[in-house]
Amino acid sequence: MIREITLGQYYPVDSVLHRMDPRTKLFGTLVFIVSLFLADSLVAYGVITLFLVSAVRLSRVPFRFMVKGLKAMLFLLLASVSFNLFLTPGTEIFRIGFLRMTWEGVRLAGFMALRLVYLVIGSSVMTLTTTPNQLTDGLEKGLGVLKKVGVPVHEVSMMMSIALRFIPILVEETDKIMKAQMARGADFEAGNLFQKARSMVPLLVPLFISAFRRAADLAMAMEARCYHGGEGRTKMKPLHYQRRDRIAYLAYLVYLGAVAGLRYVDVAWIPRVL
Amino acid sequence: MPMGIIKASKLVFDYIRRDEENHVEEVNRAIDGLDLEIGKGDFVAILGHNGSGKSTFAKQVNGILLPTEGAVWVSGMDTRDDSHIWDIRKTAGMVFQNPDNQIIGNVVEEDVGFGPENLGVPTDEIWRRVDESLRAVGMAAYRLKSPNKLSGGQKQRVAIAGVMAMKPQCIILDEPTAMLDPDGRKEVIRTIHELNRKEGITVLLITHYMEEAIEADRVIVMDDGHVVMDGVPREIFSRVKELKHYRLDVPQVTELAYELKQEGLDMPDGVLTMEELLDALTKVFVSKTGGDVPPT
Amino acid sequence: MSIKAEHVNYLYGEGTAFEQYALKDVSFEIGDGQFVGLIGHTGSGKSTLIQHLNGLLRASSGKVYYNGEDIYADHYDRKSLRSKVGLVFQYPEHQLFEVDVFSDVCFGPKNLGLSKEEINIRAREALIQVGLEERFWGQSPFELSGGQKRRVAIAGVLAMRPEVLILDEPTAGLDPRGRDEILDEILALHQEKGMTIILVSHSMEDIARYAGRILVMDHGEKIFDGPPKEVFCHYRELEKVGLAAPQITYVAQGLRERGIPIREDVTTVEEAKAAILELLGNGGGGKAGGV
Repeated sequence: MIREITLGQYYPVDSVLHRMDPRTKLFGTLVFIVSLFLADSLVAYGVITLFLVSAVRLSRVPFRFMVKGLKAMLFLLLASVSFNLFLTPGTEIFRIGFLRMTWEGVRLAGFMALRLVYLVIGSSVMTLTTTPNQLTDGLEKGLGVLKKVGVPVHEVSMMMSIALRFIPILVEETDKIMKAQMARGADFEAGNLFQKARSMVPLLVPLFISAFRRAADLAMAMEARCYHGGEGRTKMKPLHYQRRDRIAYLAYLVYLGAVAGLRYVDVAWIPRVL
Repeated sequence: MPMGIIKASKLVFDYIRRDEENHVEEVNRAIDGLDLEIGKGDFVAILGHNGSGKSTFAKQVNGILLPTEGAVWVSGMDTRDDSHIWDIRKTAGMVFQNPDNQIIGNVVEEDVGFGPENLGVPTDEIWRRVDESLRAVGMAAYRLKSPNKLSGGQKQRVAIAGVMAMKPQCIILDEPTAMLDPDGRKEVIRTIHELNRKEGITVLLITHYMEEAIEADRVIVMDDGHVVMDGVPREIFSRVKELKHYRLDVPQVTELAYELKQEGLDMPDGVLTMEELLDALTKVFVSKTGGDVPPT
Repeated sequence: MSIKAEHVNYLYGEGTAFEQYALKDVSFEIGDGQFVGLIGHTGSGKSTLIQHLNGLLRASSGKVYYNGEDIYADHYDRKSLRSKVGLVFQYPEHQLFEVDVFSDVCFGPKNLGLSKEEINIRAREALIQVGLEERFWGQSPFELSGGQKRRVAIAGVLAMRPEVLILDEPTAGLDPRGRDEILDEILALHQEKGMTIILVSHSMEDIARYAGRILVMDHGEKIFDGPPKEVFCHYRELEKVGLAAPQITYVAQGLRERGIPIREDVTTVEEAKAAILELLGNGGGGKAGGV
């Protein structure tokens, strides 16, 4: 059902990752993504797996929540696997028409799939351990340097955080409007593309009007609570790096060094796989 | 007499609708010559049908709308004076009708901290205020929850806590229970009565549920943008006919007592509670039967 | 004409860890021309239940019959069921979308594929039925007052000429007079057109005044079903599920406790007034003594 879609899939337990500064986690995710693209050997993937498994263990979030995000990626995953399987030149295994499956394709597809799966799990570790608010706070402070060149960092992060709050409300409202119109005989599925587009009008007009109304109400409520932009504002939860963040940054350095080293240092015992 | 915490004098407010070329298309007078003074620490209920101007007045007190004519003072500060706007808003905090459209934070405690953050309150002090406010409205156990997971009544209590965290002297609630179920309604009314009693907060409750006005110190009825009735609940609720004329209603016990009085029974004016009605009726029965109503 | 629910179950999140009964073994039959009040605590399943009656939700198990026909049967026209069992949701804002009131009311009949003339006739008729003056018909529905919006929303469903009208809290947010006006118009539809009405409400006072039968829901189950007088006598049980009887029922109860033998089943101000006057009139309350 439509209302089950939730954004910001925070999983509330207490762990060292949950308590970590969001900037540290954002940076860590970035490091992890870079490492995925640097890795070109099984050994490197071993290091990555070790890093990911430790992160997952540290987060204390059940593993099944990590793989939840994969469901949405399934189509992309299948597409990338089949492209790689059939479109990579090399030693042929068999062919159907113009499609040739190659050994190289199998290997590449395997690694691509692994990369995608790791990417999803890795970013899930961050979103599951960080509330959307911490995330926007992290972005606001992490990107604070951009404020000097005129980017409205505070406003953008405030908008993101409000959007996160209102998306579930609007999703639920869409469901209600759909039902109210269906009770008046509206059909959102029948007809060709043009008719379908037209049938969306009775859904979109009330939705937009409601969204505008909510926006106006919210603006008034924010003003009533003395909101006047980022100027002179204090923080209830200011970001301060702790010891654990410094340790994490050190770990990132070692980790990235190892993965990069495995790529650029030419040692005979590391078989390249990509 | 010292000036009340809120004072409106000859207040007029027009909603002006303009067309694309900025010509005035329609002027709608929402408040028309309103004079009112609210004493510190009072619990005042403002009643009136939809369109009587009561919500417009609420927004005047908070400086969200400014007078077309006349003036409004909050704790002696004129709302038209730009330099006091933030002081006015933190002195007279506001709670709105729709609980969803006034909660900004994605976590209860962060939402309560929103006001103090805007006021530039130091971090330690924000935490202290958030703790106190959540406790005062009985929502401390929900501090880490998402507002989307709360009931309507709980959301309104969070909104009230958000205002309390700004340390106001007065809270204006603009139909805070209109979208709630009966439980949520009771929850909210109980909470604001407690804040009024324990913390001495002046409460301005705007509503059209008559039951919510019974325990107020003072009831004001608005119609056509000005005050038409003003007094203690007992006095106001004894004027049943007049209330109905203003599209309002009275609680069922009040109505029954009034109806019976019209039939010639010896009933007191402005019966507000079940106990009063039962006592009065028992008296009537006793006098009719010569005092031999047996205990059950 | 009748609506019949037989052992209706509805599960949320079927097959997941969050599986939960929204409706549990609900059965009842609503006959022609009844005025039924549906009450229950928020989350008791009332909204889920009414959406089963016009086929918007499909029961996980159990049957719903309309006029004796199984609405889940393969050949059953569930789309036309929605025009026969009209459902008006709580917020008119969720359905108003056209540029003017009249076109908005036309939306329902248009979806039924009727001719232009027929659509206009029905829209006029519906707007007159809800008592919205003609000068509003050309206005944008978004500029109307709360009570007027609600009227347009009801007219939008009435224009499909339903045989049953289900209203989910049609008076929420209205002032007392606005509330009475809407409810009186609904009552008129019931009395003059013989329409079956199902009214979902949180106000026991309103239900006592208008409904001839009450269904009480709690945790997805039907716990009471009967005339208001009967159901409200169970006020102690109702309180346990977060509901209550109308204030007047408690007045009568209080009087009885003090030895005044007023009828137990008064639920409205008028009834209480009549009952009290009768007690006093009949030998000056001699019965009240009864030593």
